[in-house]
This record gives sequence, structure tokens and C-alpha cells, in this order.
Amino acid sequence: MSTAEEQPGPSKPSGSATDEKERDDRTFECNICLDTAKDAVVSMCGHLFCWPCLHKWLETRPTRQVCPVCKAAISKDKVIPLYGRGATKQEDPRNNVPPRPAGQRTEPETSTGFPGFGFGDGGFHMSFGIGAFPFGFFTSTFNFGETRPSPAPRGTPQFEEEQFLSKVFLWVALLFICWLVLA
Amino acid sequence: MAAMSPSKRRLQRELMSLVREPPPGVFVDGDEVGQNLTQWIVHMEGAKGTLYEGEQFQLQFKFSSKYPFDSPEVTFIGGNIPVHPHVYSNGHICLSILTDDWSPALSVQSVCLSIVSMLSSCKEKKRPPDNSFYVKTCNKNPKKTKWSYHDDSV
Ligand SMILES: [Zn+2]
Ligand SMILES: [Zn+2]
Repeated sequence: MSTAEEQPGPSKPSGSATDEKERDDRTFECNICLDTAKDAVVSMCGHLFCWPCLHKWLETRPTRQVCPVCKAAISKDKVIPLYGRGATKQEDPRNNVPPRPAGQRTEPETSTGFPGFGFGDGGFHMSFGIGAFPFGFFTSTFNFGETRPSPAPRGTPQFEEEQFLSKVFLWVALLFICWLVLA
Repeated sequence: MAAMSPSKRRLQRELMSLVREPPPGVFVDGDEVGQNLTQWIVHMEGAKGTLYEGEQFQLQFKFSSKYPFDSPEVTFIGGNIPVHPHVYSNGHICLSILTDDWSPALSVQSVCLSIVSMLSSCKEKKRPPDNSFYVKTCNKNPKKTKWSYHDDSV
């Protein structure tokens, strides 16, 4: 009856290096398949998934899309892909899954550029926007006779189409001017 | 081994970690389960200082091929079904994470812990009020029941 203390199973290796490595690995495990995340994406609430896993979950409950971990609202457009260094491609991740959403780059703020063409946020903006708009059209409308960087060759359907579009824009511009004068 | 489906692979991982670090009062026979990963028997012990102290229970988990996107079918089996206001005498459990509130980030371990805590917070051992009617009329699969989770205070 005197059995040794040694039992198979639950006894864990006590090497702290192993434990630490394991914990490290776990940090980057997908919360769904429990494997190291492939084509990793992170939700706004900060939870990591493989894109194929998360996509499948979103498809499973299309009407109630929540983060599997914390139940925060989640959606396809609101996940951020993670690009590690030297991510190797072993297999095609897009077999039957749409491509992982792309990262969004926001350009740094610069103060040049077209002033807000925003209706409904103050009279000043509105009149300025409408005033500038037709002139934009003019410049692009009235130089179709001159040489352009790469005009479509005459006689092709594309040429016809451009001619037609130019005329349409011309009419739109003229209507705008009439409206401005009458208003 | 290489051709293991994603659901089997995940179950294999869960089994390994549950055998290695079982939560208190929960026990899984790795060899028994390893034979057929789609059906597990989990042994559970009533926690000390609760109404179920010293009792042994058995939980059966059945996993579909859609696991973990699809919740497991979990029932108490065997001779001792806990007497609890959310546990029917046929072993069916009224617990929202097993149907509506299931999430693929949950696991066998987290389901077991929820059930342990459900038992531990019980104040009075009694069957659900509609037990006899439910047991006579219900489907064999508890997931087919349209549960209404109104009473979470027990
Ligand atoms: Zn995954
Ligand atoms: Zn989350």
C-alpha cells in the first residue's frame, strides 16, 4: 500500500523558464481556437483572434455581434490587423474567408486642402462651399479641348464617353451658375 | 494527427490543460476522454462549506463538429443529480451560457466553474418548480429547450 508520492499527470515541471515561455506563448493565442493567432486581428476592446476564427463567429451570430471574451460590440470594420515582423506565409488565409480588413492609415493633419464642403454646419461654410464648387468644375470642364496628360484616342468608345461626360459636366456647371445668379 | 479538425484540435488542447491544471473540485480522466474527444465525462465535487459538500456529480459534455462556435450539450448524468432550483431531475441545467450567452471564448473549464459556482450559491436544495412537467415533455437535448433565464439570483 505504500505508494510513492510520484504520480503521473498533474505534476508540473517546475522550471520557471518553461512556465514563462508558456505564458508568453499564451499571450498571443487566439481566444477562439487557443492556437497562436494566425492572420491576427485585435478588437477595439483589445482582444486577440485569428481573423478566420473571428470571422466565423461573426457569421454565426450576424444579428448579435459581440466580442467572445468581453461581450463588447464588435464588427468587421472595427478590428485592427496585427502585422508582426517577418510574418511568413505558409498557407493561403483566404480560402473561404474574406481577406482580413486592411489597416487604416490616417494622414497627419495639414491645414491646406479644400475647405470643408459641409452643408448644415453654419451659413459661412455653406456659401463658401457652393461658391467654390462650380469653379472646380469649370477648370476641369473647359480644358477638354486642349491637350491633356493622356486623352483617350479619338473614335474609341472611351473617347465618346469622355466627350459625353464633359458635356454633361458643362451643363451641370451652367445650371449651377444660372442658379447662383437667380438665387 | 495532422488531419485533426479545428474543433478536435481545440478539444485536445482543452483536455491537456484541464488534466494538467484542473480547477478545484473538478476532475477529468484524460485517457477516458482522449478516446473520443466529442464526448466527455467530467467529475465534480460539491465545494466545501456549501449545501453540496461531500457529494459527487458527473457532468456529460457533448460537442458538435461546430464547437467552439456551437455550445456544448451539458447535462448531469449518473445516480446523483444535484437537487438545485436550476437543475432538472433528468440532469438538464438551466444556465444561460449553455445556450444564448455561449461564446467561443468559453471552455469546458469555464463551464465547470460556472456550474460549481451555481451550486455553491444555492440557499435551499429544491427542484425547479416545473420539474415534473418539464421532465415529461422536454427534448432529450437540453439545447432544444427554449429556456427563459429570469431568475439569476438563486
Ligand atoms: Zn484562432
Ligand atoms: Zn473584448
